[in-house]
Amino acid sequence: MGDVFSNLGLGFGVVFQFVQWTPAFLGGTSIPIPVNILLCLIGALVGTLVGVLPGIGTIATVAMLLPITFGLPPVGALIMLAGIYYGAQYGGSTTSILVNIPGEAGSVVTALDGFQMAKQGRAGPALAIAAIGSFFAGCVATVLIAVLGAPLTKLALAFGPAEYFSLMVLGLIFAVVLAKGSVLKAIAMIVLGLLLSMVGSDIETGASRMAFNIPELADGLGFATLAMGLFGFAEIIRNLDAGGESDRQLVQNKVSGLMPTAKDLKDSAPAIGRGTVLGSILGILPGGGAVIASFAAYTLEKKISKTPQKFGRGAIQGVAAPESANNAAAQTSFIPLLTLGIPPNAVMALMVGAMTIHGIVPGPQVMQKQPDLVWGMIASMWVGNLMLLIINLPLVGIWVRLLRVPYRLMFPSIVIFCSIGIYSVNNAPTDVIIAGIFGLIGYWLIKHDFEPAPLLLGMVLGPLMEENLRRALLISRGDWSVFVTRPVSAVLMAIAAALLVLTVLPALRKKRDEVFVESEN
Amino acid sequence: MNWYGRSLASGFLAVLAGLGVSSSQALAQAYPTRNITMIVPFAAGGPTDVIARIVTGHMAQTLGQTIIIENVVGAGGTTATARAAKAANDGYTLITGHMGTHAASVPLYPKLAYHPEKDFEPVGLLAGTPILILARKDLPPKDLKEFIAYVKANESKINAAHAGVGSVSNVSCELLHSVLGVKPIGVPFNGTGPAMNALVAGQVDYMCDQIVNAVPQINGGTIKAYAVATPERNPSLPNVPTTTEAGLPAFQAQAWNAIFAPKGTPPEVVAKLNAAVVKALDDETVRKRLLELGSVIPPAADRTPAALGTLVKNEIAKWTPVLKAVN
Amino acid sequence: MNATPGQAPVKSIMPKWVRNEQDFVGGIAMMAIAAFALWASSDLQGMRGFSFGAGTAPRMFATLLLILGAGITAVGIFTEGQHLAKYHWRGPFFVTLAILSFSQTIRSMGMIFAAMTSFLIAACGSAETKWVETIIVGACLTAFCALLFPYALGLPLQLLPTFMIR
Repeated sequence: MGDVFSNLGLGFGVVFQFVQWTPAFLGGTSIPIPVNILLCLIGALVGTLVGVLPGIGTIATVAMLLPITFGLPPVGALIMLAGIYYGAQYGGSTTSILVNIPGEAGSVVTALDGFQMAKQGRAGPALAIAAIGSFFAGCVATVLIAVLGAPLTKLALAFGPAEYFSLMVLGLIFAVVLAKGSVLKAIAMIVLGLLLSMVGSDIETGASRMAFNIPELADGLGFATLAMGLFGFAEIIRNLDAGGESDRQLVQNKVSGLMPTAKDLKDSAPAIGRGTVLGSILGILPGGGAVIASFAAYTLEKKISKTPQKFGRGAIQGVAAPESANNAAAQTSFIPLLTLGIPPNAVMALMVGAMTIHGIVPGPQVMQKQPDLVWGMIASMWVGNLMLLIINLPLVGIWVRLLRVPYRLMFPSIVIFCSIGIYSVNNAPTDVIIAGIFGLIGYWLIKHDFEPAPLLLGMVLGPLMEENLRRALLISRGDWSVFVTRPVSAVLMAIAAALLVLTVLPALRKKRDEVFVESEN
Repeated sequence: MNWYGRSLASGFLAVLAGLGVSSSQALAQAYPTRNITMIVPFAAGGPTDVIARIVTGHMAQTLGQTIIIENVVGAGGTTATARAAKAANDGYTLITGHMGTHAASVPLYPKLAYHPEKDFEPVGLLAGTPILILARKDLPPKDLKEFIAYVKANESKINAAHAGVGSVSNVSCELLHSVLGVKPIGVPFNGTGPAMNALVAGQVDYMCDQIVNAVPQINGGTIKAYAVATPERNPSLPNVPTTTEAGLPAFQAQAWNAIFAPKGTPPEVVAKLNAAVVKALDDETVRKRLLELGSVIPPAADRTPAALGTLVKNEIAKWTPVLKAVN
Repeated sequence: MNATPGQAPVKSIMPKWVRNEQDFVGGIAMMAIAAFALWASSDLQGMRGFSFGAGTAPRMFATLLLILGAGITAVGIFTEGQHLAKYHWRGPFFVTLAILSFSQTIRSMGMIFAAMTSFLIAACGSAETKWVETIIVGACLTAFCALLFPYALGLPLQLLPTFMIR
């Protein structure tokens, strides 16, 4: 424990480092500048901006801003990049809640209840609780990294292909649970998502699959492209159906308080706690753990809630839990990088790139060799989260005011922002067209009561599931029993099976009642 | 069309296009007059990207113009390379290709939208990163000889990891397998990170990979290295023998990186760019940073455009039989 | 929206035995997508010994979707449900047109032109659009984007048409 304090002390020392700045115009007087704090702030601000703009994802931004950091000292550069990363997690929930456009896989579930809350005039509390939950999760995860980072690394290594496959199966079951309508249709949507995720090139043979020789499809459909289409464009098209405008006006008149009430806080506190725990654990798993953190948290809340029917219709727990899980996972996904030197996801791979360019190649010894870097980054996470809370709470008022912009002006603006965002991912005009096509498909799906969220989750989990299944079978030489003989995998499979039974059985029984409830609305 | 007619025509086009078309002699003399775009067909921060950034940073000083690096990822770098092949051949769009995009891609992708020799002018070789034979830390063999015997004896049980079809780790491992005459199962991962994670965790037995990614893990004792596939030992891993020393001289592999320009780029421009590359490779700071990465800087004789052309030709000849046999 | 006898009869092109038109059509569409995917992945390799081929997983999921689609269609026949939803052409048409226009002009005409035209086309999608207001907002938004994306975020976006840059 003493070590942790001295290490954190070192970390905060790095973060609060002052550099003497002696500009010529002051004639030799030097001003102390807290460089790392400023870089952290810039990172957090840029991250928030990027998170808010639909389409422009974290990976793209970190990749874009990587060259800018070359001129900075390595610690400062990494603090800034880390700031962008978790800043984007905060910002990403904003568009999910306000306009139903999830910028990243993690905020798909936030859109489910967040957007409903916004429709009910409760965008303020939704945004605020997302920020508060994220802050709490960020604090806990930072402490976790500092105290248990090294031992937790073992978890990352215990997960082989068989375990990942089982985790992904569990993830798909979560996706069924979060649907609010017909279970059969939700499963169909997941399978459609899985099918769409197959487009691209095969991991083992490199063969092109269902890409029809379109170069933009060679690497598969992009998440941002699909999300913008199915959520962003489809939502706009649907709102343009007769009555959209008056519907919107109704929403604007209803806007109630900006901040969550005492009841809101009381309702969401346990959800934030559970989300944080789930997110922290799943975030450590490299290669896909963090992706399912948010909807695992959502599923848990829906399953243990006394009023599960409220989920998908504006339950504040449905925003609090996934947002906390999301941010906790974003934070703990640094653990494999800091302790093993292995990047668990694409953003972390870019961080490794940033280190490499500065002449630091992270590995298992990076904690011993570069303690100032590692602990400086950990301390900066806490500082960054605090900054983000301070930035985001006042912003809530501005965002909510944005909702009062008449929809006739709002929707063309969203079309433009989404188009630029999608285009900027690969500088590919075809991506914009693909998103447009998925906008029409999404419109059709909404009209036929198919929910797009399970589709998107199937799309995200599909490749992870297929690849790990194939890896596991290659390693076991075709022996399917690995999924139940390996203990971790067996436990995950058992949970998945139990959850499936719990979901499908009542759904079959309650079918008639639910139709009745729907028709009364 | 005579010279006069050509310049008239190009002058006309120049007026049409507002500022100028670039293929005329005079413009090549003045080159470069504006920013140069360098396409890197891999993600920012990867080995090729880092090498490209270190070298172009110095080249920009020599040429007196900014070199903007544009990372375009996808399909093992072939998407970006195809784009560069179609770019204007005025010397303002260049590409940093590597062993994969400009050699191994030929047998790997039958429908490749470009040809490394026919669609590009070689500019200059930058630096290569040696390939290592790596294994999980508790794999029984102690040295390369034992490893070879072990792989041959356990061909049906052993697993090789690689970072995806067409990646450096994939093609170099295929070369190793063809040298050894074995066909063990290759387990594909999505990139070097996950593959390395599986190796550290002991889920797979061995892999071949670039030195940059492996040095810290070897020094940290989480994995072990049997040999480096270059003629000389690498200063960053002085205790790892070369394949020649360890008894497998036939396995030589290096992930070389080089600058190419679209076909038809004026020779004067190529010469200017090559001179800038050579100057950068002689610079102390550039050398130091490249060596820190464990990369190998080519000797003076290998730095000419012609030498790069020969290298590409030889590499295609080297990889084609190896990778054709796999597909 | 239930098909209760009290409501005005909605004109339906569906045969009488289809009681839930929404699900019936939805299920058939899913089956069509599955069939298309099966056709599109038919040229891919199947199982090779114990290891999956490139086509194994796509065909597996497509078959599953085919079964689920059939299930949804069956639900459409055997349960009471809603009539087909009404579609409106104006919104989808102009929003799609705006997206197409953006994608076709961004490369050659630059972002300022692409964003502005696309904004105006999209605005046609709503009957409530007031043109003076729309043009002013569109211009401001375009200016904002022109500053934000290339300058604040450093995206390599071309602002002006290609013929003006050269």
